[in-house]
Amino acid sequence: MKWLEEPHDDAERLLRECLDQAALRTGDEITHRRVWAKVADAIEAPEPRSYGRFIFAGAATVLMVAAGLVAYPHIRDLTRGPIVQMTPIAKNVVHATAPTKSESKAGAGEVTIAGAEPQATLIESERVPGNVVRTRAGERVRVALGGGAEADLAENSAITWDSQHRPSIEKGMARLSVPHQPPGWRFSVTAGPYVVTVVGTKFQVHVAMNTVSVDVTEGVVEVGRGSNSTRLVAGDSWNGPLYPEEAHTAPAAPQERPSALPTPAAKAPVATTRGLQDAQAALQAGDTRKAVEILTRAAQGTGPAAENASYELGRITRYNLNRPRQAVALWDKYRTRFPAGLLRTETDLSIVETLSQMGDVRAALTEAEAFVARHPTSERRMDVQRLAERLRASETPASLK
Amino acid sequence: MGPKQQTKPPAPTPTALADAELVRSCRAGDVTAWRSLYDRYAPLVHRFASALGVPVEEREDAAQDIFIAVFRSLRHFRGEAQLSTWIYRIAARHAIRLGRRRRTRENMRLLMIKEKPTFLVDPSERSTQIATLDRMLEKLPPKKRTVLVLFEIEGLSAKEISDVVGCPENTVWSRLHHARAEMVKAARRMVP
Repeated sequence: MKWLEEPHDDAERLLRECLDQAALRTGDEITHRRVWAKVADAIEAPEPRSYGRFIFAGAATVLMVAAGLVAYPHIRDLTRGPIVQMTPIAKNVVHATAPTKSESKAGAGEVTIAGAEPQATLIESERVPGNVVRTRAGERVRVALGGGAEADLAENSAITWDSQHRPSIEKGMARLSVPHQPPGWRFSVTAGPYVVTVVGTKFQVHVAMNTVSVDVTEGVVEVGRGSNSTRLVAGDSWNGPLYPEEAHTAPAAPQERPSALPTPAAKAPVATTRGLQDAQAALQAGDTRKAVEILTRAAQGTGPAAENASYELGRITRYNLNRPRQAVALWDKYRTRFPAGLLRTETDLSIVETLSQMGDVRAALTEAEAFVARHPTSERRMDVQRLAERLRASETPASLK
Repeated sequence: MGPKQQTKPPAPTPTALADAELVRSCRAGDVTAWRSLYDRYAPLVHRFASALGVPVEEREDAAQDIFIAVFRSLRHFRGEAQLSTWIYRIAARHAIRLGRRRRTRENMRLLMIKEKPTFLVDPSERSTQIATLDRMLEKLPPKKRTVLVLFEIEGLSAKEISDVVGCPENTVWSRLHHARAEMVKAARRMVP
């Protein structure tokens, strides 16, 4: 008998139910397949000969990184010219002015900082709510944002810190440079009602009279407001109203955003794994048509979920609907959209197998040869090579016609 | 006649037999066997890592690392324990190591007064019961948590658990007893 199968009270009943539920969480098939794609690649790589060497290298790296972290602020101070440190006496507003050789107070709670070239000045402000770094016409400063991130503040701009100690672009334009963050760490900056979240990238945030815009130079950023968010990749631009309530729009949803820029509004939304799970549930319930509908929608989006959906469409068409030719066409479409996709190997393989099962010897042979050439390190290379040999042997004049 | 019956080895279960064959094929370099082994144990690794507190954003990487470790050390698998027990052992070690790293990171984050990390939720685990269980399990020390998860969720015997965690069976029972008591206490705090 299971523990707590006969519970004495509600708490024990809850605990038993929770444990039973936990036994059912096995992950979804798409995730397993994605992990397999990575595992298969990794296990084909040459295995390290000695762990001792790696442990030593790891320890040395850790020591070097630790030393780097300790030394970094000092080195930065030495190499990047003067650093203006906020004083506790007057820390409310900082103005970076045209270069002079003096530092003077410009009023209660306001400091004018000078003494460096506008483009080279790095301000290390206390990152506490209420502190503001402001530039006037013709001025430009760099502001350290913590975690190695910096904002290059253009003229007539202001940056502050919100209650969660996140930098917040109050007005004007800031070009941000964020080094890659450790796993699980996110760097966020706010602009009006939006939160821009990144892992490591370069991007620009512009807060104008009525709009907020984000231009991504490198990496990927996520712009969100409330529960809505949209993902931007390098080269993408996005803009939304600074006061969304007045604009009566849901700004984070790309399709509803008023935009004059070539924004991702024109692009398909990022697909989520939720759709894939719904499709899987529909399949399990025997509703193939519904699964296909869900996957077709998901495949129109972008991101890994769309990629998985594109592949899945072909698989369902092949095995559930038994339409091999249509499946090959769908997988071909996948290859066009995701030429270097995670499931590319699996797709190529599925095409070879399907064509071979269909008896299309010539096409199967062409695909098999292409597979061997394209994936020289694949675990399935030998299988496909064997299949190609069989196909070549079975190639008759009739099939060549 | 009696002793003869006693010496007769128990007939291997179909899974055990299939596991042994699978391991043999994997060692022989049969790549399809590797895939079969992965397909068979991927759900187990996912469930076990989740229950040991590997956050959703690290689960894929964790599963990847665990399977790479499994495949690379398969030649050292002597077949004395079940394959699943051996995989549990690798997964438990990895999940505990990840947990230690995560706690160090958290402490560093607190020291550096950086933004708190956003914890993602696996869309396939929106069940409030799962979230409740995770909150209760969070409070358990790693050793007790591992034993409780292996016994109550994974359904392993105390003997198998002692093989996985590398401690005597009595210690397993003792850890399980304490873990259960703490879990019931935590559940009572949650239920008004």
